[in-house]
Amino acid sequence: MTLGRLALRNMLRSKRRTLLSTAAIVVGVMYLILGQAFVGGIEEGIVQAAEDGMTGHITVRVDDYPTTGLSHPVDDLLTLTPAAKALLDDDARVAAWVERTVFVATLSTGDDSLRIRAIGAGARDAEVFQRTTWTVEGRVPETAEQGALLGAGIGRMLGIGVGDRVILRTRTHAGAINALDVAVAGLVQTGNMALDGTTAWLPDALARDLVRAERPTHVGVRLKRRGQAPAFAEALRAAVGDGADVITVQEETAELLRMQQIRRNALNILVGVLLAMSALAIANTILMAAHERVREVGTLRAMGMTRRRIVALFVTEGAIMGGLAGLVGLGVGGLGAWYFSENPIDLGALMQGVDYGNIQFSAYLYTAFDPGAMVLPFVIAASTAVLASIYPALLASRLEIADAVRAE
Amino acid sequence: MAICELKGATKTYGSGATEVHAILGIDLTIDAGEFTAFVGPSGSGKTTLLNQIGCLDSPSAGSVHIRGKATAGLSDVKLAGLRAEEIGFIFQSFNLIPVLTAAENVELAMSLAGQDGGHDAALALLAEVGLEGLGGRRPNQLSGGQQQRVAIARALVKKPSIVIADEPTANLDSDSGRAVLDLMRALNEKHGTTFLFSTHDPMVVDYARRVVTLRDGAIVSDERRGAAS
Ligand SMILES: Nc1ncnc2c1ncn2[C@@H]1O[C@H](COP(=O)(O)OP(=O)(O)OP(=O)(O)O)[C@@H](O)[C@H]1O
Ligand SMILES: [Mg+2]
Repeated sequence: MTLGRLALRNMLRSKRRTLLSTAAIVVGVMYLILGQAFVGGIEEGIVQAAEDGMTGHITVRVDDYPTTGLSHPVDDLLTLTPAAKALLDDDARVAAWVERTVFVATLSTGDDSLRIRAIGAGARDAEVFQRTTWTVEGRVPETAEQGALLGAGIGRMLGIGVGDRVILRTRTHAGAINALDVAVAGLVQTGNMALDGTTAWLPDALARDLVRAERPTHVGVRLKRRGQAPAFAEALRAAVGDGADVITVQEETAELLRMQQIRRNALNILVGVLLAMSALAIANTILMAAHERVREVGTLRAMGMTRRRIVALFVTEGAIMGGLAGLVGLGVGGLGAWYFSENPIDLGALMQGVDYGNIQFSAYLYTAFDPGAMVLPFVIAASTAVLASIYPALLASRLEIADAVRAE
Repeated sequence: MAICELKGATKTYGSGATEVHAILGIDLTIDAGEFTAFVGPSGSGKTTLLNQIGCLDSPSAGSVHIRGKATAGLSDVKLAGLRAEEIGFIFQSFNLIPVLTAAENVELAMSLAGQDGGHDAALALLAEVGLEGLGGRRPNQLSGGQQQRVAIARALVKKPSIVIADEPTANLDSDSGRAVLDLMRALNEKHGTTFLFSTHDPMVVDYARRVVTLRDGAIVSDERRGAAS
């Protein structure tokens, strides 16, 4: 006959009360797990959007490149040193790399025009900037084609369909104006709302022809693993020399991720309040249990139970309550976190037509399903319950035995 | 052999004008195998005295020795240990743990006494007190007399030196009360267990082989009888 069994029986005696007082713990743990998972998902979305959008794992670009607004000057072009080229070609960490010519163009249909970002790159581009979330209507233009792939948002705004012709006008590297008549080969929904509304992809040759540039403006690098970026960037920095900047995806997203930390903290405060409430509820429940069971406590003491074991008995009840409630919260929260990691919420569909400016983030709100991150909320909940039951347990243990055994 | 010895045992409640001596200067020796009744009017100190012997409380003055060990000044753990090993209790209101079955109540006492007899040993003990087949019932599914038998079985698991029963029949009808007393005396004769009980019931007093009478916290008579029926 263990303490645990006695504790369990006592809790089952007042099921409804136990359920009510543990509800807050269930909700708290669920909130913590789901909330953290969503924040984690948003963070992953931010990094992923940068990785698959403009940055890759690592971007090399000319020094002092502007980072705000829709601004992609072509006055300075990138020259890769032989050392940098060799590193990119030979280092085992590099999965793929590609030269990109990025510039700002005015796209017009005859009636309407829009300032857009154009990216010219070779076939390798798809290996560096992965297109797993892409949905293409029409097709991606061939290398030698005079065709463009437009973000679906641009198509919607200007009423452009696949097969239509548009004029792209831009400033060349030398500062002159150049324009070309281009066929729309396809429209793409990238899963990144900022790209969809602002960006067009062109074959490398077409882009270089438009801006009259022999060299690219960017080099994008994909490594075997994202985590290799900081170390590889270090090596690459030494190789590219003074004229170029090397930026990792971690550096590129650091600012946005810092904002996420604020969100995490707000969530933690909310959950802290919830847990404090549930601690009070549990303390109250155990206190009521202790009052109801004065005679039982007296009897157990008369039978030779020490004060310490009485404390253990009530704390065990708190622990079982907190543990079970924590498990339920973990189950529900974990299930939710898993579900939304497999079935993202499509924000793009929810918020079509809203202008997101130049902020890069995923159109899909999903969770980062991380079982390891669920241990802590569970431990916090269980220990809250244990702490909350200590005071009532001490009260019960200090009863006068002679009086307690005769209590009603 | 004396298993319990009180010398000048005094218990005082309150202080100053409200001071009450629940018992005052009690000298008493209990020998192994006694079957003793404590009688006296309400408030005479029966419960207080039994609490002292049962180590539920320690004296304000004087001394109480259980098997040669003084109880005054013992730590909680030591007192609990004394109760766990030496003393069994039978209560007026039975005091079974309501969420446990009869057998589990007995098992709990076993584990507290450090025995690991388990379920079968508990059922055997219940059979000995005449509760064959009722081990699976909760206290609220048993009559008062049956509950008190479970309590007796529970008190006896550790083979205590002393079983203390404060008004064990007060909540029972006279037939059940008689049956409980019969059982207590049978166990006293079979195992030599010492039983100390208090009562207001002359029928119960008739079972005793020694009758200690209290008044105002003091012993006013202490008579031994032959084996009465
Ligand atoms: N906890 C207490 N605080 C103050 N006084 C107490 C306390 N317990 C008992 N007393 C007093 O001590 C005296 C003896 O009480 P006790 O309970 O021992 O009597 P009793 O003989 O058992 O009476 P009864 O037959 O009614 O059970 C009484 O005057 C009682 O009021
Ligand atoms: Mg009394």
